[in-house]
Amino acid sequence: MNGVAVEQEIEPQESLASFLRERLRLTGTKVSCDVQVCGACTVLVDGLPVSACTYLAYEARDRDVLTVEGLAPSDGELHPLQRAFLEDNAYQCGFCTSGMLLTAKSLLDTNPTATEEEIVEYMDGNLCRCTGYRPIVAAIKRVQGELA
Amino acid sequence: MPMFLPRFTIDQPSTLGEASRLLREYGEDGCVYAGGTELLLAMKKGGLRYGHLVDIKTVPGLDAVAQQDGAVRIGALATHMALERSSLVRSKLPIFAQVEARVANPRVRASGTLGGNLCFGEPHSDPATLLLCLEPTLRVTGADGSREVPLPVFMVGPYEVALEPGELLESVTVPLLGAHQRAAYRKFQLHEYPMLGLALVLDLDQRGAVTTSARVAIGSVSPTPRRSEAAEALLVGERGAVRGRLDEAANALADDADLLDDHEGSAEYKRHLIGVFLKQAFEEATADTSAASGGRGS
Amino acid sequence: MASNTRKSPSAANGAASQEAVPDELGFRVVHHSVPRKDGPQKVTGRATYTADVHIPRMTYAKVLRSELAHARIVSIDTSAALQRPGVVAVVTGQDLMSLNMRNYGHAVKDHPVLAYDKVRYIGEPVAAVVAEDETTAQEALADIVVEYEELSAVITVEEALAEGAPLVHEQGYDQGVSPGHVDVDTSNKRSNVCQENHVRWGDVDAAFARAARVIKGDYTYPMTFAYPMEPYVSIADYTEEGLTMYSAAQHLYMVRNDVAGVFGLPLNRVRMITPFIGGGYGAKSYTKIEPLTAVCSWKARRPVRLQLTVEESILTTRADDSKVHIETAVDENGKLLARRAMIYLNTGAFAENSPLVSSKTAIRIIGPYLYDAVDITSYAIYTNTCPASSYRGFGISQIGLPAEGQMNELAAMLGEDSLQFRLKNLADSGQRFFPKKRPLTADVKGDIIKATEALGWNDPLPPNRGRGLGVLVTDAGAVPVGRSEVRVYGDGSVTVFSGSTEMGQGSMTVLAQIAAEEFGTSMGNVRVMQSDTALVPFARSTGADRTTTLEGRTVLQACVEAKEQIRVMAADIWEAAPEDIVLEPTGVMSEGRRMGWGEVIGKYFDLSDMEVTGRAHIRQKDEFAELPPWWEPAIAAVEVEVNPDTGKVTVHKLVTVADIGLAINPATSEGQDLGSATMGIGVALGEELVYDGQQLSNGSILDYRIPRFSDVPANSHGILVENQDGIGPYGAKGIGDGPTSVICAAVANGIYQATGVWLHDAPFTPERVWRAIREQRAAQAQG
Repeated sequence: MNGVAVEQEIEPQESLASFLRERLRLTGTKVSCDVQVCGACTVLVDGLPVSACTYLAYEARDRDVLTVEGLAPSDGELHPLQRAFLEDNAYQCGFCTSGMLLTAKSLLDTNPTATEEEIVEYMDGNLCRCTGYRPIVAAIKRVQGELA
Repeated sequence: MPMFLPRFTIDQPSTLGEASRLLREYGEDGCVYAGGTELLLAMKKGGLRYGHLVDIKTVPGLDAVAQQDGAVRIGALATHMALERSSLVRSKLPIFAQVEARVANPRVRASGTLGGNLCFGEPHSDPATLLLCLEPTLRVTGADGSREVPLPVFMVGPYEVALEPGELLESVTVPLLGAHQRAAYRKFQLHEYPMLGLALVLDLDQRGAVTTSARVAIGSVSPTPRRSEAAEALLVGERGAVRGRLDEAANALADDADLLDDHEGSAEYKRHLIGVFLKQAFEEATADTSAASGGRGS
Repeated sequence: MASNTRKSPSAANGAASQEAVPDELGFRVVHHSVPRKDGPQKVTGRATYTADVHIPRMTYAKVLRSELAHARIVSIDTSAALQRPGVVAVVTGQDLMSLNMRNYGHAVKDHPVLAYDKVRYIGEPVAAVVAEDETTAQEALADIVVEYEELSAVITVEEALAEGAPLVHEQGYDQGVSPGHVDVDTSNKRSNVCQENHVRWGDVDAAFARAARVIKGDYTYPMTFAYPMEPYVSIADYTEEGLTMYSAAQHLYMVRNDVAGVFGLPLNRVRMITPFIGGGYGAKSYTKIEPLTAVCSWKARRPVRLQLTVEESILTTRADDSKVHIETAVDENGKLLARRAMIYLNTGAFAENSPLVSSKTAIRIIGPYLYDAVDITSYAIYTNTCPASSYRGFGISQIGLPAEGQMNELAAMLGEDSLQFRLKNLADSGQRFFPKKRPLTADVKGDIIKATEALGWNDPLPPNRGRGLGVLVTDAGAVPVGRSEVRVYGDGSVTVFSGSTEMGQGSMTVLAQIAAEEFGTSMGNVRVMQSDTALVPFARSTGADRTTTLEGRTVLQACVEAKEQIRVMAADIWEAAPEDIVLEPTGVMSEGRRMGWGEVIGKYFDLSDMEVTGRAHIRQKDEFAELPPWWEPAIAAVEVEVNPDTGKVTVHKLVTVADIGLAINPATSEGQDLGSATMGIGVALGEELVYDGQQLSNGSILDYRIPRFSDVPANSHGILVENQDGIGPYGAKGIGDGPTSVICAAVANGIYQATGVWLHDAPFTPERVWRAIREQRAAQAQG
């Protein structure tokens, strides 16, 4: 879990979101639609995005889970995406932000030079009701610019 | 509208045989559990209820993707994302990789499996719609060994497939497209599921000017993805003539679809869209063959 | 970069490091796109929302909902549920009988905490189970047996108004604390009319009689859901000492009042705390699930959390859908003469805020135009559907298409460019276009010129494309009542205390900027404590775009008041007359001697961590006497493409204009406008809740499409007009409701230019557009 081994006994039907939020009190992962449509609960399991709301905690055994709490490399230092989201005001209420950050990370990890069209298509499964999305696209492109 | 997962147990078989035994033992109270994207959602919404899930991801090797005698053999547990990104699929079955890349969203693609998608009998399945035209063979394994099932036989109805108690889908073997074959896929989507998927595979003659054989399928607008023999017959012939029959073919396709008025749209509109997208697919499939040189090499 | 038309905040006006350099207007912090104060918490997952709050011994509630649209409750058997291990309590309408009040409502007290005599819509709460965990609570719902006696139901406005229609409410109710801006008659109800409103001036019949041209039309606005990403959630802890609640509530003081009324508790024994809100857009204004959560805790004698799903949230509050008949008359020169309209809102089973929403539709359908006469009637109608309430810019979205769509159509009918037609008929800034209300406080003519120039209004149109424009105004700000406190500490740090909530709009940042500006200090030296009724000053509401303007004014005044206290202290220290103490940007000065604000406080009390509190309030007096405090324009221009084969509409270009007076934070201001426009795009292109018979058929995100990344044009441009002509701090005016309401009308004009078809029924789904084009072609072929 964010680089630290966690050992807990769980119920088979327990979702990863509920495991994170209720057992580990890692509440940065938000649950919104609960039907794997909105992307608010996106976390990375072995680097791939999953909807923690409809993904069993059981599946996370022996795997690397990355949540928003583990995104920053250290205390006082932010991940480039987090910095870019701040710079571009790519959030307002913040409820979709954790999922946006992790989805964007999974995109840039596999396709660091994604075109704007590819960014929009990949991110299209993450919903935001506040920003009108363009600041989020700008933030992702800012990180691409920094990496280039 | 429960929106929570009821209690269940999870079994972890290490062989398909063991999984099959468990499923027979549980009967209607047990279900195969693969990616979970369809199953867990349906259980959450209260549509399905099982006391026991049999996790076949603990059976090794079921997610393998390999080339095999002019075909690609896809293990039932290969995820949509794995297929989208597989260099083998991308080079040998590019149309399939393209369709997989546009299933739902990245999270569903990362967990959801092709086998789960097919076994769920989802009427909106893009992969199933395309596969109908690629004519794969499904390998099904049960207590009495394995059998091979064509996809149209496998798809019985909405959310219903031809699996006997204790049977599991093991793999899907998809023949490669030949140099003379062209494929196109179109989909139209407003909500979370597509409103219409349309797949077209054409066999062309040497010059690329005549369709010698055609396969066309639609998804999302019918109880299961479907092909239409009547439409396919109309798509065979010289290109100009076929082009003149596209409206007729689209109507045949729509006639065979059992179109319904629903939240996505009226039957009348869906019929219209079938015509629009059949034309688009036809133009795409024949686009690079119009040159006198006679089509591309591979 | 395709998004280059929107300046990034850092590029726009410099980040924190440049705070100390005054800009061309002399501002150091205000009028700068300083980083948001809530940013670091929100990008690291540390920000606390209501669902993240955990209280020891907390239990979990789940709600049993009515499966019938209209029925008498004969009996409820909870015995099996109570026997289930882990169940702590089961609450039904019978439990309400010992309470002070069974109903609540800030406008009309018609909303039962739980259905007790009858149910009025499918999805209405009938019982709640409190258990040690959510799964048990959910499972126990199935153990409850409810016996109903079904009644006939009314789902549509037509059904509700039909002769002899069954009544959703047979009796009248008391008014709440905020009944609305017009008279409400709630007594002896004999119909399903929840409220009726009239706006009239001039002789409309005479004006129509002498008109050269008249245009008439019928329009519909769909049933929608504001869809905040955070579903409704509350936590209640009812003890002997009183009730403490956490809730995702925009207007926590109004919720306090409603909840206190249910229990008969004095205000000081109800403590409402609102952590960060995961989006509101009106859907979280006023009281929602708080009374039920509180009653669960009262019955269970344990802290209770009630967390709804999105599906349940849709069943809790949607936006009113509307049907509008509207007529507009012009003279031979194309000058507007008169407008009349009948507006019917489907308000659902309970009034919620629809009395106010309906009254606002009647005002806002007029627009910032000059008419000799108007005659507008609007109704809020009870039906057996889920209750409707506020939605971004309450009331204006429901009338945006008729008001401005008809204006576009009228211009086309007269053969005039819709921009020029508007310029000829719009009011000027300072002109009283609406009798007895404040004159127009915005330069809407200049604004729409800017919008159309940025869009390329007169550029050649590619095939299948069209452009459109919309302009309306809201009487913004709600009621100008509020107060704030600002505490200055001996070390020079400053804390702002405000009752307003932070729901993403940036109030925490903007209020801090004002204090930082006033005390000549940095953003980092200012803290904002918000939304806890036990600790911070009263705020009527966080909505109607009032926080920056009205709360901001009280923060500014509280800073000034604190500085005046410090002036007196400095005079005491220096043994000078207070009038000889000069207030400088960072402290006081007298005869060449200087002290910082904090230093004065420390020296005066001889205690370096002592403090001074400045307080200020506003009320509807003096410069705030005339309503509205300001008129807020909603302005957008779009270029759309219509796919002639599928009917699918794509928005390719978007320009919004915020006539903001002064942008305290330009970046967050632009963010508000783009977000608002995006909500409008959602309704224009596809958002619509549909009732199939008595049942909501698509009350889930699987079937209800809100805008996605791919729906918002890369070519989007936000313009801030800063004439410093607002009543808020430094001449600011509120924004946020923004252009949502005018997008449908602008898109409709674009569709007309692209296809020759006028659409009157939103959303403009592909099928609807395709049908309209087809019908037009058929008509042309016949004609």
